[in-house]
Amino acid sequence: MLTPLSIFAQSTISGTVVDNNGMPIPGVNISVKNTTKGTTTDFDGNYSIVLEDGETLSFSYVGYRTQNITFNGNNTSIDVTMVEDAEALSEVVVVGYGDQTVKSISGSVASVTEKDFNKGNIVTSESLIQGRVPGLSVTKGGGPGSGSEIRIRGGSSFNASNAPLIVLDGLPLSNETADGTRSILSSINPNDIESFSVLKDASAAAIYGIRGSNGVIIINTKKGRGDLNVTLDVQQNVTTIDNTVDVLSASQFRSLVRENFPGRLAELGNANTNWQDEIYRNAKSSDINLSLRGALFGELPARLSLNRSDQQGLRRTSKFDRTTASLSLNPRLFDNHLKVGLNANYSNEDNRFADGVEGNAITFDPTQPVRDPSSPYGGFFEFRDDDGSASSNVPKNPVAQLLQTRNVSNSDRVYGNLNLDYKFHFLPELRLVTNAGLDRTESGGSLTRPSTSALGVNAEEGEFIGNESRYSNTLTNSSLDSYFVYENEFNDFGLKATAGYSYQKFEQKSFNTNELLDPNAQDPRTIIEDDVVLIGYFARTNLSFRDKYFLNASIRRDGVSKFNPDNRFEYFPSFSGAWQISEEDFLADSNLINSLKVRAGWGQLGQQDVPSTSDYLRRYQTGLSNQQYRFGTNTIIPFQPIYTNPDISWEILTEINLGVDFELFNRRLSGSVDVFERTADDLLSDVPVSDGANFSNQGFQNIGEFVSKGVEVNLDYNVFRQDDFNWNVNYNFTAIDREITNLAFDQDILVGGISGGTGNFIQVQREGQWPNSFFTYAQLYDESGRPIEGAYADLNGDNTIDERDRYVSGNGQADVLMGFQSNLTYKNFDFNFNLRASIGNDVYNNVNSSRAQLGNLDLVAPNNLPTQVLETNFESTPDVILSDFYVEDASFIRMDNITLGYTLRGFDRESTSLRFWMGLQNAFVITDYSGVDPEVVNFDLEGNSTGLGIDNTIYPRGRTYLLGINYNF
Amino acid sequence: MKYTHYIVIFLVSAFLFTSCESDLDVELQDPNITLADDIFVSVEAYEQSLAGIYANLALSSLTDPGSSNIGGLDPGTGQYMRGLFNLQNLATDEVIFTFENDLGIRGVQRNSASPENVLLRGVFSRGMFSVALANEFLRQSTDELLESRGIGSRDTIQTYRAEAKALKALSYYHLMDLFGKAPFYDETTPPGFTQGPELSRTELFDLVESLLLEAREDLPAGNSGEYGRMDQGVVDMILAKIYLNAEVYTGTPRYAEALAKTEDVINSGYTLVDNYQNNFLADNATNGAQNEIIFPVVNDGQTVQNFGGTTILIQGQVGAQEQNGEDLGVNPGGFGGLFRLRPQFSEKFTLNPLFDNDSRNLIITEDRPIDLDIPDPNTGYITTKYSNRTSTGGFGSDRTFTDTDFPMFRLADAYLMYAEAHLRGGGGDLNTAVDYVNALRERAFGDTSGNITSAQLNLDFLIDERSRELYWESHRRQDLIRFGLYTGNQYVWAFKGGPSTGTSIDNFRALYPIPTASLATNQNLTQNPGY
Repeated sequence: MLTPLSIFAQSTISGTVVDNNGMPIPGVNISVKNTTKGTTTDFDGNYSIVLEDGETLSFSYVGYRTQNITFNGNNTSIDVTMVEDAEALSEVVVVGYGDQTVKSISGSVASVTEKDFNKGNIVTSESLIQGRVPGLSVTKGGGPGSGSEIRIRGGSSFNASNAPLIVLDGLPLSNETADGTRSILSSINPNDIESFSVLKDASAAAIYGIRGSNGVIIINTKKGRGDLNVTLDVQQNVTTIDNTVDVLSASQFRSLVRENFPGRLAELGNANTNWQDEIYRNAKSSDINLSLRGALFGELPARLSLNRSDQQGLRRTSKFDRTTASLSLNPRLFDNHLKVGLNANYSNEDNRFADGVEGNAITFDPTQPVRDPSSPYGGFFEFRDDDGSASSNVPKNPVAQLLQTRNVSNSDRVYGNLNLDYKFHFLPELRLVTNAGLDRTESGGSLTRPSTSALGVNAEEGEFIGNESRYSNTLTNSSLDSYFVYENEFNDFGLKATAGYSYQKFEQKSFNTNELLDPNAQDPRTIIEDDVVLIGYFARTNLSFRDKYFLNASIRRDGVSKFNPDNRFEYFPSFSGAWQISEEDFLADSNLINSLKVRAGWGQLGQQDVPSTSDYLRRYQTGLSNQQYRFGTNTIIPFQPIYTNPDISWEILTEINLGVDFELFNRRLSGSVDVFERTADDLLSDVPVSDGANFSNQGFQNIGEFVSKGVEVNLDYNVFRQDDFNWNVNYNFTAIDREITNLAFDQDILVGGISGGTGNFIQVQREGQWPNSFFTYAQLYDESGRPIEGAYADLNGDNTIDERDRYVSGNGQADVLMGFQSNLTYKNFDFNFNLRASIGNDVYNNVNSSRAQLGNLDLVAPNNLPTQVLETNFESTPDVILSDFYVEDASFIRMDNITLGYTLRGFDRESTSLRFWMGLQNAFVITDYSGVDPEVVNFDLEGNSTGLGIDNTIYPRGRTYLLGINYNF
Repeated sequence: MKYTHYIVIFLVSAFLFTSCESDLDVELQDPNITLADDIFVSVEAYEQSLAGIYANLALSSLTDPGSSNIGGLDPGTGQYMRGLFNLQNLATDEVIFTFENDLGIRGVQRNSASPENVLLRGVFSRGMFSVALANEFLRQSTDELLESRGIGSRDTIQTYRAEAKALKALSYYHLMDLFGKAPFYDETTPPGFTQGPELSRTELFDLVESLLLEAREDLPAGNSGEYGRMDQGVVDMILAKIYLNAEVYTGTPRYAEALAKTEDVINSGYTLVDNYQNNFLADNATNGAQNEIIFPVVNDGQTVQNFGGTTILIQGQVGAQEQNGEDLGVNPGGFGGLFRLRPQFSEKFTLNPLFDNDSRNLIITEDRPIDLDIPDPNTGYITTKYSNRTSTGGFGSDRTFTDTDFPMFRLADAYLMYAEAHLRGGGGDLNTAVDYVNALRERAFGDTSGNITSAQLNLDFLIDERSRELYWESHRRQDLIRFGLYTGNQYVWAFKGGPSTGTSIDNFRALYPIPTASLATNQNLTQNPGY
């Protein structure tokens, strides 16, 4: 409605905002430039605002290009079609406790949205961004639903966790994996994820204080939207074994036994068994995902998704099934002043775990058959004594172990959050945001074996009676954040200030029956872990001047229950600035340089995720049922004091990050370069203590420092951009150098246990070296280049070969990591692939070092050997196991994914599409490493990574062939 | 709008009311962990705390046999008695271990251990841990604290304090014997990170002696203490040991005092059990051996489980080809043939056909060559001395963890010590000495066919006889050093110093090196010469 002409002519403008499929978008930010006026679109995409002539409306929304439209006084109905931001970075990026415009970001933040996600058989969420972000390394284990080692800039600790903080819809997740589940992300449906924000440097992560020292990954899930939209994704795939360890065939085996231990020939059988083939199968998996978006009762934007994933593992009997249901409701109340976000998720995970039998499959005598009708052990061949009972100290039949072991679990996870975002009526620049989150997993499982299994408990007379044990585990993580946000513009200055409070509590309880069939095993036991409570106060300001110069600062005061009240709280500040050079007059019209920004940031973070929750107290341990003593004829329960460190405190990480972001050549080439140096100090290390001074000879102390420096490069290039042909490539590169600069008392710490001898370690933490470096003897070779068994270099010149002649001979972490992704669409076809490369990572081949020696033919049962023994002719394992001969360069290039798809359109509804696709996962690996797979990551029983590079057989990854259909309505 | 106000109030309250910094003081949830301030509520609690010091001789942790409260090596290897066995027996002619790729084994069994050797660290740390536990007990049982906690029965507590002092002395004695020095800590220093001053061997000797004499006053007389606990008999035995070895430890011989103390022990009411092997069976707490064993370290297959002590000895004795675990009360295969005998030891029983009738000869020689090829577990003879079977042919309570208590000190040892102290000029009577030796011979042979004459009693005889009687009881290295046979080339055994024929080793090897980690964490400690 037009008002009468006047100098301050005002009109009410209205319209609808839709996306390029014609669907309305609620929640689009509409602001009037140079004023405080603004509004958002409602759930139908409609808006209405009062404008004066000449004012400019700015429409912005995550994932779309901002559009500016000036009101010239004529058209009062302005409809806008938002265009997806295909090439450039999104306008708004999620950071901790809120979001920020891309322009104003001065830390190192990488945002990855759905269109950039990896394709293929994505079972766990971190696979979506594997290889996509420089500085972020994701090393996935084999096995269905397996977890990954996720590291941002290599992590910054020894004994404390190196895993980044993962925040899911505002709820920081615990790093504890519930017993019986595969990993902390395994129960989350990847199809529900809309975006990842990776906060890589301290200035970006400082807002998370005590939990941010290893970086932060913020995951946001898809929310409710207006018009009805249905997607259905169906996928089937088959995984086959791509590589196994080369071991002797039955005839080679027989010849070697004949040559070296002819007295044992009589024990060999007549079969020709390839044991590794026998333990694997072709694994079939399927995944079906249905998601519905729309307005419930015509009013309430909602999203519902249902997913069922059935994954078989390559090891026989191994499986992972997951059923998830997610609901997201996003009503707006009080004239858009109150935005409510409710996410409720339920996930059920059903697992059958297959024991790691690769070791037995490699060493099992190939002349013996898998099945033996005369065997009392379920008809499976086992080595038996003269009296017919299964021998001890021999390999057990790996096929029998897989088929006779029932190690199953089931877990229920309920997680979600309620987010309230209230814009004050009397002061619309001020908002109050409250987020309450809950994550609760209840899991339980059992391990049983029948009495016909040779792995069961040995009873009185030596007969086997099977196994039975059960466990259950409950993990609860609850959090509450509340903060105020004030946002305003004054002339050329922009200000956004955030201040708030955060509370989080972790509780854990578990129960284990221990071995029920063994009367001498420990009694069933309930363990209630100490609660961990984290409390933080934080504040952040973002200042901008003329939208070109940005200054950001944040501070956080954190406290955790694990430390002495005197040491409990610490301040974590950060400062950073950015200069959008391309907005300066001398560059504003350049077509060559469309965007150029330089950034610098400094921040401090803390780390407290160590296993010790109460070391600062003086505590006593009571002996458990099988750890008592006897006075006379009476059993007495003893007490002993426990290691105490009253001064235990934070690890502090300090980091400087410099970066450049650019878009060049008409936005065809965009990218960023970051350079950083981070120092981790007061590292919590489990290090020696003076004997007799405390109640152990080692324990956690804040001693230790290490420094890592690196450079990250990310480039996106749009090779072709035409109507029906589009080709985009992305290349990223990370190079990191790490060094331990200070270690308690200058003492080496041996780490990295290996098999092939009790208490053997192959890695060391040593000052001046990378953490977890390989620590071996230097092998000597003869004139023809063959290694001389047991001959090592006397590196310290003292004419004896002992522990002091070991040296640092390599490291499991790479010097350089690279990723390359290509996305091509031509008419209705799409073709994508991604490659990953790792350079400079070494692997210690423990498969060969503990097995490829002729002496192993003459053990209690003759053991099969890896074929490497034919080259080396080594005889005795202890003579060679600590040699650098087994440390190999495992640099590799891997083709992770190739997908080809075809999309049918032209249905009644414009937005409907049907896409058929096929794909190949783990297509090939190029490497010099002699083992099965150059990417070796080990996990402990809790699912946490214990490091890279020690290959003592791994769960193989296999090659996967996929077919799928995406239906979008 | 009304509703707005309500919402604002709700949100702001939510903001304020959750400011609970007191939540940071979490309570300990594990029912098996208690705050030090809350645990000493009764005399029984003090007894349990005392039991914790004893338990450190047998257990590697209080939670399970696979855990350890000291770090740097695996739990079984870090167990107290196993550590002593490794350093006192494995380093001599009495035994060899098959798996030299187990960390630290090669250095110890070939007498070439370096300061980085983890087995040494295990013993040093475990021994000092006993000292720390004893000091904590003394710290918690001062009169002031007892008063403030309302604890009565002061006499009983006084006895407990004496036991703690005796246990502390025992561990310092072990460290003095093996390493020749140790850091000094007592109950006046609160636990934490202090670096105690170094005690030289002579200073350690004086400290051990004074602790034992002080403790002795409050301990039950003679043999009257409960089985497994300290009494005057045990204290006298330790004193006898340190006096007998005084020339090695301090340079000053004290054989007269050694002889006197040995007599005290012998007159304390101990008696030899009829069957030698009863001392090493699952029921040695009840089959008569309890009267011969002066101080046992208790083991039990159900309640005192650990991977050291007699568990490792018995499991390790099982022959790889014999699979005779059942005869020893464990699973047929045992742990795969860990321990075999070196030829020089075997010959003490096998060279002279006289010893075919010696019940201490528990060696299996059939189908085995006497000479050793270390990695081949079927070379070298094996023994069946320790067993998890009972004196009536029954089995221990578990097939993995054994019931057999470890006899740290036995009356038989005191008899031989008397004879030795006499021969070294400590006084006493030659005929008494011969009678004592013959008492052991009669027990071993069942008759007098093995008895010796006084002309046959000399030091060369004694060193061999000690081995025949006391092998694998953690005395050998100490004995060889005292007789001047450990270092040098007077007595060479297979793999001594490295080569299969054995060779001379340097004199500085009579002391083990102080572990590198121990040196690094305590600037007051200095390394032993030669390392």
